[in-house]
Amino acid sequence: MYRYYDVRHVAGESTNVDIDNGVVESATTSLFDRAVVRVLGPSGWGVVSVDNYRERELERFIGEALALAGLTGEAVELAEAPHRVLPVPAPSDDPRQYGLEEKTRLLADVEEAAKGSGVRNTRAVYTERHETIRFASSEGVEYAYDLGRSGYSILAVAEQNGVVQMGYERRHAVNGFPLRTGTACGQKARETAIALLEAKAAKGGRMRVVLDPELAGVFAHEAVGHASEGDLIHEGNSVLAGRIGERIGGPGLTIVDDPSLPEFGFDPVDAEGVATQRTELVRDGVINAYMHTRETLASVGNGLAGHARGMPGEVPLVRMSNTFIENGDSSYDECLAECGTGILLIGSRGGQVDPGRGMFQFNAEFGYLVEDGALGGMVRDVSLSGEILGTLHEIALIGDDRHMHQGYCGKGGQAVAVGDGAPHILLSNAVVGGSGHD
Amino acid sequence: MDTIDAILKAALSRAAEAEVYLSTGESISAELSRDRVRIGQAGYSTGLGIRVFGDGRVGASSTNDLSRWEACLEAALTAMRLADPQPWEGLPGPVALPADPLAFDSSVTLAPGTVAGLLESMQSGAAAHAEAAVTAGSAGLSRSKVEVANTHGLRYADEETHASCSIEAIAGTSTGYEFASSHGLDLDPSWVGEQAAFFAAHGVGGEPLTPGTYDLVLSPLALAELLEAVLIPALVGRNVHAGRSRLAGRIGERIADERLSLYDDPHRRMGPGAAWFDAEGVPTRRLDLIRNGVLEGFAYDLRTAYRYGAATTGSAVRGGYGGAPSIGFHTIVLEGPVADVMAEPAVYVRSVVGAHTANTITGDFSVEVSNPSMIEGGAFTTPVRTAMWGGNVFDLLSAIEGVSAETRNIGEMVLPALRVAGQPLVG
Repeated sequence: MYRYYDVRHVAGESTNVDIDNGVVESATTSLFDRAVVRVLGPSGWGVVSVDNYRERELERFIGEALALAGLTGEAVELAEAPHRVLPVPAPSDDPRQYGLEEKTRLLADVEEAAKGSGVRNTRAVYTERHETIRFASSEGVEYAYDLGRSGYSILAVAEQNGVVQMGYERRHAVNGFPLRTGTACGQKARETAIALLEAKAAKGGRMRVVLDPELAGVFAHEAVGHASEGDLIHEGNSVLAGRIGERIGGPGLTIVDDPSLPEFGFDPVDAEGVATQRTELVRDGVINAYMHTRETLASVGNGLAGHARGMPGEVPLVRMSNTFIENGDSSYDECLAECGTGILLIGSRGGQVDPGRGMFQFNAEFGYLVEDGALGGMVRDVSLSGEILGTLHEIALIGDDRHMHQGYCGKGGQAVAVGDGAPHILLSNAVVGGSGHD
Repeated sequence: MDTIDAILKAALSRAAEAEVYLSTGESISAELSRDRVRIGQAGYSTGLGIRVFGDGRVGASSTNDLSRWEACLEAALTAMRLADPQPWEGLPGPVALPADPLAFDSSVTLAPGTVAGLLESMQSGAAAHAEAAVTAGSAGLSRSKVEVANTHGLRYADEETHASCSIEAIAGTSTGYEFASSHGLDLDPSWVGEQAAFFAAHGVGGEPLTPGTYDLVLSPLALAELLEAVLIPALVGRNVHAGRSRLAGRIGERIADERLSLYDDPHRRMGPGAAWFDAEGVPTRRLDLIRNGVLEGFAYDLRTAYRYGAATTGSAVRGGYGGAPSIGFHTIVLEGPVADVMAEPAVYVRSVVGAHTANTITGDFSVEVSNPSMIEGGAFTTPVRTAMWGGNVFDLLSAIEGVSAETRNIGEMVLPALRVAGQPLVG
């Protein structure tokens, strides 16, 4: 007999428009319908994932999942956690009120704005996704809500004398329509690509580094967020395991994950029906809490459930949502002045972390050398790496200009929408990577 | 009339041509959390992709709900109207293809006991290095069927089986990871477990690295990560003609060490992407990309080939049923000068962190090395604590000192370990 079951059924449609060098390659809508049925047997989980779910089949799936649970030996328990569904914010500008033709035209405008002298290729992509999520569990928890996300990206490739560089911008929103005001991003992608033609390859080494809000947000996500995920803590695969209450950074450093914020990683309720709320991973420089599902809260403790997220039809995992460093009290100018000689890193080309080893790495889109507190020449292909346990102590100043950015985060083969953010921060000693030479 | 025929018939009254792609699959898997099985899982998937063509316009849509094929067709027709017209000379007609599947092993049945056995064997393999503990692992089996059909009477079907296992281990703060994947049950799960535990155990007490220039040995995994990020996209015809490949206009030029060759071999039995036909129903064939260091060609699907006056190379692939086919590869093989790459002192690069952040056009990358270690005389010697490596993927192709005789399948590639000279590392 099962101890618990739940079913999470997600149906909806996704729209994709792809314009490559002025040609509308595709402007299409697709339909999807997936569900995951989880059953807790005498020890662990049995799960059935299905396409095209029909509720009348639930009994059969529960039986099949219960049989699969027979493979398990892990004694899984579920902690009690509050149930609540937040209202989904009304769309500020609902993309569904615009036709596919209108969206294609708006995207073409963004792509057009990225063209110009020196730019040899442009590509603009629009994505929109609407999901209806239905959940029911053996504990009598039931909910349903609709959520939409949309956004676009623009790539400009510039060439001069055999040197090829690119500028890339993207904007996404939950229940909004950023495409409507996208031409400025097209221009910015072009300007970045052109400016990078003159940039030098960064020279690697240890130095003082200022991170812009986007990259500092990725820093929070990679350096602290992943290592605070309850499943990794449970597996012994995080350097933050067993360190609640330990100091990891200076006073004034607070790092938060908050799925209840109406930013890109918003969830009105998590994927197992638990209320979403603010979790302070680091409070005033001290490791304060982990992110949990009901299962990892029961096995690990120290933190809050409400962080279960999953792609349609997939088993939910402990995931970040909106992860950010809280504002400090330094201005951007003070960060640069205090940096003195070093480097300012701007924008993100993605990052990665090995939480067990405690090492993270991420790449900036570009940077500027900082000389005597003033911006110098532009540099390209620059990365930053470090150790989770040491790096946060190197934060010398925290800015007062926090800003959130949108992205997708991958874990266990599942990509989920996340928001990352921070103010400008100054690291007094960081390892910068680059292929440049003296 | 079955669903495929019904869709093609309905489409033909409103479009000049149409194509249906239908995939169905079943899978079973289980996952370890530390030393215990935490989850057993089954999956059932269905996917329908429809493409319609008319006046050089193409529209596509997809669904996993077969009962909604009419809505899916309607969406594809709408997409067709919105697309810009491009040169198009038609879908392929049927030809006689061998009937025996290239990537199917009937012994792969979806038996829970087989999955449990894979996990147990990995665990016992890992026990060879007691100082390392397993943190997570998984094993899975799947069977799938794909059908491609179009309004020229083409209708092909193919069946595929798949088995895989992977495991992660940790010793102190040193982590190790290993995996294996095959179309058959010829995995060696015990070796997979042993390797993960070895790399975790070996990395304990890593020494700091003096910044400088080193010879490196890239494992097949590290090589795959760098090639996937930069070289492979640069060989895709669409990127080439769109100005997104550094290799554009360089066919016939030497771009690599003259002893290096790279080709796609779709007919290699049990190769990662082995198939007689591609995602558009075009018969597959061997495609030489780099031969003896000289750039030989790029990969094309029908759409890109028609547009740029090239011929399709049978390189259309689908990541799933969704969207439209794109240009990809079946089984990429890299060959080079075989040598004992582990003999002379070098830094071993087991895998790299951050390859996806490489500059896909210039090839410049800056990555963190996972499990870095000194090697000498064929053995792992002193582990290295941290190493950051900045370089360029295209330059690496000319810096090759040798490749190992043994290869392994990583993604859609069959790769050796590769030794390169003179690479900058920062500790």
